[in-house]
Amino acid sequence: MALGAHPRFRVYEIFVQKDHQSPHVWVGSVDAGSAEDAILLARESFLRRDPAVSIWAVEQSAIHRTDYADRDFFARETDKRYRTLAGYRAANAERWRKYRRELLDLERDFVRD
Amino acid sequence: MPNHDDRHAAFLDRVQRGEKIEATDWMPDEYRIAMVKFLQMHALSELMGALPEKEWVPRAPTLARKLSLMAKVQDEVGHAQLILRVAEDLAAPLGKGREELVAELFTGEAKFHNVFHMPAPTWADAGIIGWLVDGAAVVSQAALLTSSYAPYARVLQRVCAEEGFHIQHGESICLALAEGTPAQRQMLQDALNRWWEALLLFFGPPESNSPSAAVLFKYRFRTKTNEELRQKFLTKYVPRIWALGLTIPDPQLRFDEEAGRWVYTPPDWSKLKAIARNQGPLSQYRLGLRRLSYEQGRWVREALLAPAAQAV
Amino acid sequence: MDTRGVIALLYQLADDELVVGHRDSEWLGLAPHIEEDVAFSSIAQDEVGHAALYYRLLEELGEGRADDLAFLRPAGQRRNAVLLERPNGPGTYLAEPRFDWGYTIVRRLAYDLFDAIRLEVLTASAHAPLARAAAKILREERYHLLHHTTWFRRLATGTAESRRRLEAGVAAVWPDLGGLFSLGEVAPGPHFPASPEELVDRWTAELEPLFAEVGFAWPGRPAPAAAPGADGRLGQHTPELDGLLETMGEVYRTAPGAAW
Repeated sequence: MALGAHPRFRVYEIFVQKDHQSPHVWVGSVDAGSAEDAILLARESFLRRDPAVSIWAVEQSAIHRTDYADRDFFARETDKRYRTLAGYRAANAERWRKYRRELLDLERDFVRD
Repeated sequence: MPNHDDRHAAFLDRVQRGEKIEATDWMPDEYRIAMVKFLQMHALSELMGALPEKEWVPRAPTLARKLSLMAKVQDEVGHAQLILRVAEDLAAPLGKGREELVAELFTGEAKFHNVFHMPAPTWADAGIIGWLVDGAAVVSQAALLTSSYAPYARVLQRVCAEEGFHIQHGESICLALAEGTPAQRQMLQDALNRWWEALLLFFGPPESNSPSAAVLFKYRFRTKTNEELRQKFLTKYVPRIWALGLTIPDPQLRFDEEAGRWVYTPPDWSKLKAIARNQGPLSQYRLGLRRLSYEQGRWVREALLAPAAQAV
Repeated sequence: MDTRGVIALLYQLADDELVVGHRDSEWLGLAPHIEEDVAFSSIAQDEVGHAALYYRLLEELGEGRADDLAFLRPAGQRRNAVLLERPNGPGTYLAEPRFDWGYTIVRRLAYDLFDAIRLEVLTASAHAPLARAAAKILREERYHLLHHTTWFRRLATGTAESRRRLEAGVAAVWPDLGGLFSLGEVAPGPHFPASPEELVDRWTAELEPLFAEVGFAWPGRPAPAAAPGADGRLGQHTPELDGLLETMGEVYRTAPGAAW
């Protein structure tokens, strides 16, 4: 079979938003002649059992992608805790404990009178 | 720039370490071609698999069963769609798309699963198929969830979830027949008698020496052998079949505690050869239906792809 | 409250939906595009589901078990429009199905448009259970109409061949349209506050612009009644319905009342 011997469907990647608290999530793809057709078909290909509020259809060729082999693109080797919750929580909690002790002492002085 | 052999060795190493392969990864031709063939066969099996039960959709005996069977068969076509998409993305560099992958079914280049070449002459057959054939399929498919080819493994999650409904649907039909009139019970027993050999044949022969199977194991596309899967199926379903009071048409069938496996009368493995040549009981009939509808629908597909449609 | 009128209406609704859903279901596994096979089956299931809902309403009105009503009544008692019992094409779903997608799309568009208008009327029905059912079902019709109108446009503007086949579908559907709008033995009233003329008016107002959009000649306004002797709403059916019912009830009739 020569390439192009048959007319070719376009591929549309389908993203579904299940409710307004959720983002659109990729669910799969359909062969279709147009984006409008893709959405019509996608509703039944992917949502027979799931509720949704929105469907996006994106032509496969419009997707730009990273290369899986390029693992260094995603490298995080050095300590990044400075920008995480974990990086601060324990140290701050320790400091708050000191203030809480002082606070408790004050209360005792007042209560004891 | 590493040469092909080095890249191939590195790829094999990745896969054997349990790493996953994506559609856009570099892969040796041997992997791509073997995966496309396997995916194509699975997809076409789902497509052809819709036909035996579809025979009973217009004759389903209650409104509830009519709806349930329509949904079940629709799912099979849906599975074909999901898996074809995976196959198409992988086959694109080979110059093959949807039309080529489906058309190869009619030339005989691409095969479909042996179980779908078998007749379904009564309503009870629709029940047995939904319960036990889908049950067998789930055993196979669950074992493929760890496949090295990630797009396939992902799609199988959805497929397996829907198969869960199929088995419940099939069980429901069989339970109703088993608990029904004597004629209904007999219909169910007759159907089981008809399908038992096909259920054993489903998993393929115990020793598979085929080169294509070897490739699938080498690249961790699949990891369980035919016999391991068949044993799993028997362990799961034989007790349930017996619990319904049905007899299985194999006097040898028993679980050998010492060997830790089911002992059964081997089915006639040579039947698989005829089926592989599309000379099974209903192979030509069902291929004929598919081929006819495919040709009948060509003008429709061309209309969908016309420039006016694509302008929207 | 005219219970006889409501019952007669419910039989029309139930039989319409069951027969068209059954015809739709014959396409399963045979549709021209795999994604469309899936989508079309959902529409078929909707119709059968609607039929089940209407048969249950009939059961509640004392007409008998829903499955008996669906599977046992002979053709002379059926109240579906003849348009819906016509085959999908030459052959049967088991033997040489040469089904006609052009005809199917026109039939489905014509019917679902009529059904949506009928349902809108029914949302104002004095029979509350029917009005409530109609409101719910109407929402599902949105997808059906979107599906059919999209396909109508695609086939009309796609290729010369698809346009020709769609036109042939229109020609084949048109003579049966009157029978769709017939109310049979039901007289307009509180349970159905509209006349066949009004239904035709509204249907024409929706469809004629679509024909103009794609440059199809408008074949003319359908009569608000079936040709004499061909009114499905009066139980006047074709041999095709006998075949359909024979198939549909084949298993059920071996043991009516048995659990399946």
